[in-house]
Amino acid sequence: MIRIELNGQPREIPDGSSITDLLAIDGADRRQVAVVVNELVIRPDDRSAHILRKGDQVDVLVFAGGG
Amino acid sequence: MDLFQLGGYGLSSRLILGTGKFSSTRAMIDAVRSSGTQLVTVALRRFNRDQAEDDLFGPLSEIKGLTLMPNTSGAATAKEAVRAAHISRELSGSLFVKVEIHPNPLHLMPDPIETYEASRVLASEGFLVMPYIPADPVLAKRLEDVGCASVMPLGSAIGSGQGLSTAGMVSIIIRESGIPVIIDAGLRSPSEACAAMEMGCDAVLVNSAVAVARDPAAMAGAFARAVDAGRQARIAGIMPKSGTAVATSPLTSFLGTP
Repeated sequence: MIRIELNGQPREIPDGSSITDLLAIDGADRRQVAVVVNELVIRPDDRSAHILRKGDQVDVLVFAGGG
Repeated sequence: MDLFQLGGYGLSSRLILGTGKFSSTRAMIDAVRSSGTQLVTVALRRFNRDQAEDDLFGPLSEIKGLTLMPNTSGAATAKEAVRAAHISRELSGSLFVKVEIHPNPLHLMPDPIETYEASRVLASEGFLVMPYIPADPVLAKRLEDVGCASVMPLGSAIGSGQGLSTAGMVSIIIRESGIPVIIDAGLRSPSEACAAMEMGCDAVLVNSAVAVARDPAAMAGAFARAVDAGRQARIAGIMPKSGTAVATSPLTSFLGTP
């Protein structure tokens, strides 16, 4: 297991997990989300090949209500 | 047809709806449908599996002909707003962005300097920039000069329901502007939206007044009709004011003694 930061919270994930794997854990893979890793936007086509590393800061974002 | 030309889009509705503060996603969707709007604002939020209903992309994407305009709410600086816009573009698939930078929750007044800088950068990158601004004609003109798609001066403080308290300055912005002017924030009732359109605004953006109504869908419909009435009145030509009475009937006496 490695520790990353997901949406500002510490999180343990299996070593070798891709972004796609991470999204599947939380059910976010069924939603339209934006993913940012260490301040870089990772596009959907690149998520399965992007393996997360220890200490990565990951943000998963959706559209919520706003004016 | 009187289409609202905005950033290369021709919109049949001049009402832009915000999606915040609704009691439920269902209530918001019903209001969006009832309003007939083709452009809605949304905000970025971190995904939370326990609050999956927060995710509005799915429900909104089911409404045909609707374009999303992400805002940069939460950004306190130009740099943060630009970053939010880049992330939002990945999600929305639209180039619209509402630049919204208000560092103080007490009044939520837009920071004009950071707003200008973020708008300048995003416009140069090809975004359709819709900045939320104080009703300042100088700033509005500067934002037009850097390529914004519109300017959105506030009617009064966000969510305050104090109406069109900036009418005087907004009138000047309208007179000077070569890009659409949209009243954003503070409107409380359809009559205020109608007044904004009669003044010559190109559109209005409403959120709280619809979202907190007892019946949001009905209120959204009322706003839509008021916006349309105001627009039609503006086009038809509103009579000038006179300081004295101007008779509508002949004043020639015919009942009096000859």
